[in-house]
Amino acid sequence: MSARATLAATAAAVGVLAAMPWVLSDFLLSLTISCLMYAGLAVSWAMFSGPTHYLSLATAAFFGLGAYVTAWSHAALPWPVVVLGGGLVAASFAALVGAAVLHLRGAYFAVLTFGLGELVRHAITYFEKSYFRTVGRVLTTTPDGTTIYFTVLAVAGAAVAVAALVRASRFGLALAGIGGDEERAQTLGVATRRVKVAGFALSAFFPGAMGAAVSVRWTYIDPSAVFNPFIGFQTVLIAMVGGAATLGGPLASAVVFSLFTEFLRLRFPYVFLIVLGTLLIVLVLYLPGGLASLLDRRRAPAAEAARG
Amino acid sequence: MISLDLTVAGLITGGMYALVAIGLNLQYGLMRIMNIAHGEFLMVGAYLAYWAYTMTRVSPLLTLPAVFAVLFLGGLVVYRLCFRRIARAAPSVEVLESRSLLVGFGLMFLIQNGAFLAWGADLRGYEYLAQPVEIAGARFGANRIVVFAFAVGLSLVLLAVLRFTLFGKAVRAMMQSPTGAQLVGIDISVLHPVVFGVGLALAGVAGALLSMIYEISPAMGEPYTVTALIVITLGGLGSAPGSLLGGLLLGLVETFGTHVSNPSMKMLLSYGVFVAVLILRPRGLFAR
Repeated sequence: MSARATLAATAAAVGVLAAMPWVLSDFLLSLTISCLMYAGLAVSWAMFSGPTHYLSLATAAFFGLGAYVTAWSHAALPWPVVVLGGGLVAASFAALVGAAVLHLRGAYFAVLTFGLGELVRHAITYFEKSYFRTVGRVLTTTPDGTTIYFTVLAVAGAAVAVAALVRASRFGLALAGIGGDEERAQTLGVATRRVKVAGFALSAFFPGAMGAAVSVRWTYIDPSAVFNPFIGFQTVLIAMVGGAATLGGPLASAVVFSLFTEFLRLRFPYVFLIVLGTLLIVLVLYLPGGLASLLDRRRAPAAEAARG
Repeated sequence: MISLDLTVAGLITGGMYALVAIGLNLQYGLMRIMNIAHGEFLMVGAYLAYWAYTMTRVSPLLTLPAVFAVLFLGGLVVYRLCFRRIARAAPSVEVLESRSLLVGFGLMFLIQNGAFLAWGADLRGYEYLAQPVEIAGARFGANRIVVFAFAVGLSLVLLAVLRFTLFGKAVRAMMQSPTGAQLVGIDISVLHPVVFGVGLALAGVAGALLSMIYEISPAMGEPYTVTALIVITLGGLGSAPGSLLGGLLLGLVETFGTHVSNPSMKMLLSYGVFVAVLILRPRGLFAR
């Protein structure tokens, strides 16, 4: 699909989904919010990590930062500013961190991004404890459910639109070049460092904004809930299962996973995670390109072989 | 500022950290498999020792060989089922690393929740060698001293094996140059599963030893995985003496750090050290 067709499809989907508050029950609406949240997270993760193969586990850190921007400022600032602020704080954090660590590859990068998330979590816990004598915070003045729904929808829609634009742009090609062979890309004139930092920051904006938007659903937030590493793992899992190199793959699997989670996790928490773990192993072993590679392979076996 | 009792306390904590890291370090150093489920295998070892002690009153120290054997065999199976295929199919080291990391996460979910289902979420513990011993004017549980001795002892044994035996030579050759090692006739299809198994077995032994000191639960593994990651990053991924020194260093930093500031700084300190080392000296503190 060309970028223009994807954008048109996204706009149409957002238009349809915007009518949902008047159609769906409260329960189904909150289920839709979960789907949209994971769709936004997975698509923005795949925006950077898909083409570059840099395995980032920092999603939980960006999400949590956004949530804390809400916690600190939602009473004083207008709602759209809070959500944008959450995204910008996460993006600036990613830019700062990216500039320092994006020379690391493979497991080093993955482990470091995970460590950073935990570092931010403990730093915020410590900060809150020593200056406000509290660990969690109660969110007092929250917007109503419909506003939250529209905000989450807007953030997810923006993530998909930006991902489509990136894929079609020179910037996206540069990211893919870095994933293919970083040194060669550099030789061909790609400013790899700048491209990586920009891509990482861009992909951090949406989890930040999403964290800011979603956190008001929980009236009480604390660091262990919003920096939950599980948010990061599930995002990576969704994107990898769907196929991190595609746009539709993460979207589709986000919907499936949110439904799956909603119905199984509360009823059978342990079995759910066992199934999740097994699924992850089987997929990585037998379908490393994700479910989207099944379609891909049928369409263009040669391209798949060339990509290796 | 440098007081003797704090130093001893830091070294004892550090010895435990080093112990936890040995197995993971071996696996990563040889095969580039970042087994993030390391702490879960440690938890399995801890439960084995716990059941052996509570049911038969056998000393946890005597069950160590059994724990080693069980997890070694488990390691062979896990390698055969999961990692062999990844090692063969991955086009590059980076892809191998990220895929094995994801499989590790899968194993983590699987084992941890399997343990929750089988044994429940309760904290369990037992008393063994808990009587205090006085060193440098401070009191430490005898079990902590035993664990420290084992940590140092196992590290030294591992070093000796790597240095002086033919097996160790093969492992070191493989770490330096996988292709070169295969050219001179070292068989990957034997060496990889064996080293992976030994790595898991060492995790299990560490868990069995730690079960003498701390309460155990199915969720206990994750912090140990993180500690192990920090330690081997400090010491340099794959370096056996580095991870012993890295563990001791982390123990000292934490003990002195929390002493001069306050206890809630502990996690912040260890992650701070971890991130700083990765950014400033990604090949480890002792890399040349």
